[in-house]
Amino acid sequence: MSDSAERTESESASTERDGQSAESARAAGTERPLLEFDEIDKYFGETHVLKNVSLDVPDGEVCVVIGPSGSGKSTLLRCANRLEEIQSGEIRLDGQSISAKDADINRLRQRIGMVFQSFNLFPHKTALENVALAPRKVKGMPKEKANERAADLLDRVGLSKQKGSYPNQLSGGQQQRVAIARALAMDPKVMLFDEVTSALDPELVGEVLGTMRDLADEGMTMMVVTHEMGFAREVGDRIVLMADGEIVESGEPKQFFENPETERGKRFLSRLL
Amino acid sequence: MAETYSDGTTTDGTGEGFLNDRTLKWVGVAGSALFTLVIAAFLAYIVVVQVNFALLVEVFQPQFVDALYTVLTVVVVGSVLSVTAGVIVGLARVSKTTFTRSVAKGYIEFFRGTPLLFQLAVVFFGIPALWPSGQFPFQNFAYPAAIIGLTLNHAAYIGEAIRGGIESVPDGQMEAARSLGMSYIQSMREVVLPQAWRNALAAIGNDQVILVKDTSLLTFIAVPELISFFRNVNSTNFDAWTPLLLVAIGYLAITVPMGMLVRYLEARADPAGRGDR
Ligand SMILES: Nc1ncnc2c1ncn2[C@@H]1O[C@H](COP(=O)(O)OP(=O)(O)OP(=O)(O)O)[C@@H](O)[C@H]1O
Ligand SMILES: [Mg+2]
Repeated sequence: MSDSAERTESESASTERDGQSAESARAAGTERPLLEFDEIDKYFGETHVLKNVSLDVPDGEVCVVIGPSGSGKSTLLRCANRLEEIQSGEIRLDGQSISAKDADINRLRQRIGMVFQSFNLFPHKTALENVALAPRKVKGMPKEKANERAADLLDRVGLSKQKGSYPNQLSGGQQQRVAIARALAMDPKVMLFDEVTSALDPELVGEVLGTMRDLADEGMTMMVVTHEMGFAREVGDRIVLMADGEIVESGEPKQFFENPETERGKRFLSRLL
Repeated sequence: MAETYSDGTTTDGTGEGFLNDRTLKWVGVAGSALFTLVIAAFLAYIVVVQVNFALLVEVFQPQFVDALYTVLTVVVVGSVLSVTAGVIVGLARVSKTTFTRSVAKGYIEFFRGTPLLFQLAVVFFGIPALWPSGQFPFQNFAYPAAIIGLTLNHAAYIGEAIRGGIESVPDGQMEAARSLGMSYIQSMREVVLPQAWRNALAAIGNDQVILVKDTSLLTFIAVPELISFFRNVNSTNFDAWTPLLLVAIGYLAITVPMGMLVRYLEARADPAGRGDR
């Protein structure tokens, strides 16, 4: 936690000192944002779902995306690993275009982990096999090694006893933690979380948020769409509020929750209470 | 179940009228008993009075065994080829490319929309007719024609079964696999198809049983299968029931184990014991 707080400080400092920011940012190890959305537009048929959205997620940041239903939060995340195509603008990971026609998307996706609301575990495979599958098939890792790593990852998310269980034998919270381990198995640089606790019984939400908090503490760069405002406030380095396909406000959690700058922000918060 | 409800205090729907739950149960039992009795009596009559055992022994080896062997060979080869081709048709049917999808759709429409007998005629009579008379290179074209006809026909049905199986796998499965960096082919092979296969197995099993029965149509293109066997024995000995009994046993000897194989494959494809899902 203290780690990420420091990072945010140095970032906000560097954006203030506009001119020399590049220099100092490089010194701080963040010469360019890890994940960049550069004026992207996304249409579903006629519907304009993302409108000229720009967003930079620096290395190590936990960027929490909130906003009303239908505002485009999921679409934004799905564009980031090209589950959806954008119509204009560019999305870059570590400076490499994700959205370009000729992007090596299978390679890029390995560096972007995604966790879904509905878990999407492979039901015909055990927890261990779920985690070990992609490293074996994509990275060509030998079975032994992949299983060993998968076991370590399952330990890390607190599921050492469930390695041989099939998804339908696990609780929702356990399934979601397997899904997190599965995404981590590819050693991603960024993790995307789309309302990963929304399908869970209330008593299971905590264990999944706890796993995400641990990840954040370890310095993982994360984009998190959530309705869990407590989590947003405590773990988030930055809050991004979306409405109608646009980013209407973006700021530090403390400032956003205590004193939102925009009318939309105020209205959104008042509806939460 | 029936007793608890009809003996209970429920006032309508179960205890009223002539056909309540309890009588329905007994109507079922009585009907089944009657049916069994009639069939058993009929079979006994056929076996004791109609079947000529001397003839049965005489035609068993080699005629019947040969015919059964022919059916079995055609079924094994036809199954392997039609399931393989059917998976390809099914994959083409869900392709993201409109052209590929349309071709698969047209294929399925044609082969499901015309009789197998017609398709066999096209292959067996139509194809050799494309050569100047007497120049068709195959000596015994009946077997290849049988395999080609059955494969093309059943690949269409299996293609539909596979398509249904693939479509019943939630989109999130493909998305999860792709988001891990797996290619379309890897995702299909490792994630979607195993589940689609499980979903489609019952339909594929059904189709393969039909394939066994469809071999009876091969008598039309002079493949010496079980119906041809019946016709030969019947016309030379003026005996219907002796060969009919053997033919029934022959088909069931293939379809019953086949049903068991499908159930075994279903259980094996469902390691998580998800039952019907
Ligand atoms: N596949 C699709 N086809 C057509 N329209 C879509 C599709 N997916 C999303 N949309 C539309 O895009 C808009 C944004 O959807 P999105 O799912 O990104 O919203 P969201 O902010 O994630 O909402 P929620 O909080 O309900 O998950 C909505 O108006 C939605 O109807
Ligand atoms: Mg959403």
